[in-house]
Amino acid sequence: MSDELTANQPADDPHASAPAESETHPVEHPSPGHGTVEAEVRAIAVALMGWLVPGLGHALQKMWGRAVAIFLAVGCLVYLGAGLRGNLFAPGGEDAFERLGYAADLGTGGFYLVARMLESSGADVSHADGDYGTRFLATAGVLNLLAALHAYEAARGRKA
Amino acid sequence: MVPLQFSHFQALLLFALIISLAFGTLGRRRPLERLKYAAWSFAMFLLVGIALGWLMYPFSR
Repeated sequence: MSDELTANQPADDPHASAPAESETHPVEHPSPGHGTVEAEVRAIAVALMGWLVPGLGHALQKMWGRAVAIFLAVGCLVYLGAGLRGNLFAPGGEDAFERLGYAADLGTGGFYLVARMLESSGADVSHADGDYGTRFLATAGVLNLLAALHAYEAARGRKA
Repeated sequence: MVPLQFSHFQALLLFALIISLAFGTLGRRRPLERLKYAAWSFAMFLLVGIALGWLMYPFSR
């Protein structure tokens, strides 16, 4: 997983000759084209891909460890949430709680549809398990949004 | 799919484990730092969860 340390460093890294310093104090290295419109568009595209498929934003930047961890974490949370028959909110909620829940669930990106398919028998929040499932699903979405934001920052060359 | 069933504590353990590992991987760069951060997050999740549970215990009946 140490591949991520150099993911955003240019090939002609001036710090390459001083490994002792860079190992003890990781330095922020902007990516090529840092600050340009093209780089910003690329960063937004990376974030969108990361949202759509959990972990893809990091995978596109060769951050394999983080990509796998995010994919598995969001996938496990969605699977457990659907298995516990949590409430997967649909669009057009009547109150703010339902709309907020939908926004959180939608954060899982493509996994929202997976959760819909897994939860074929519908939600059952009459027991504690279903209530936990609702939290698992919402957490999966929020975690994926956090990961997409992290991928965006990394693509912009910010320390991540 | 087969509906899952967990006790309260099992659900807390699973939740804490998954989120801690994700936090550790996202929040730190080096493997050892990740492990330490994940372990710390996991311990805090359990500690705070159990403490909140006991705090609510007097009002549960």
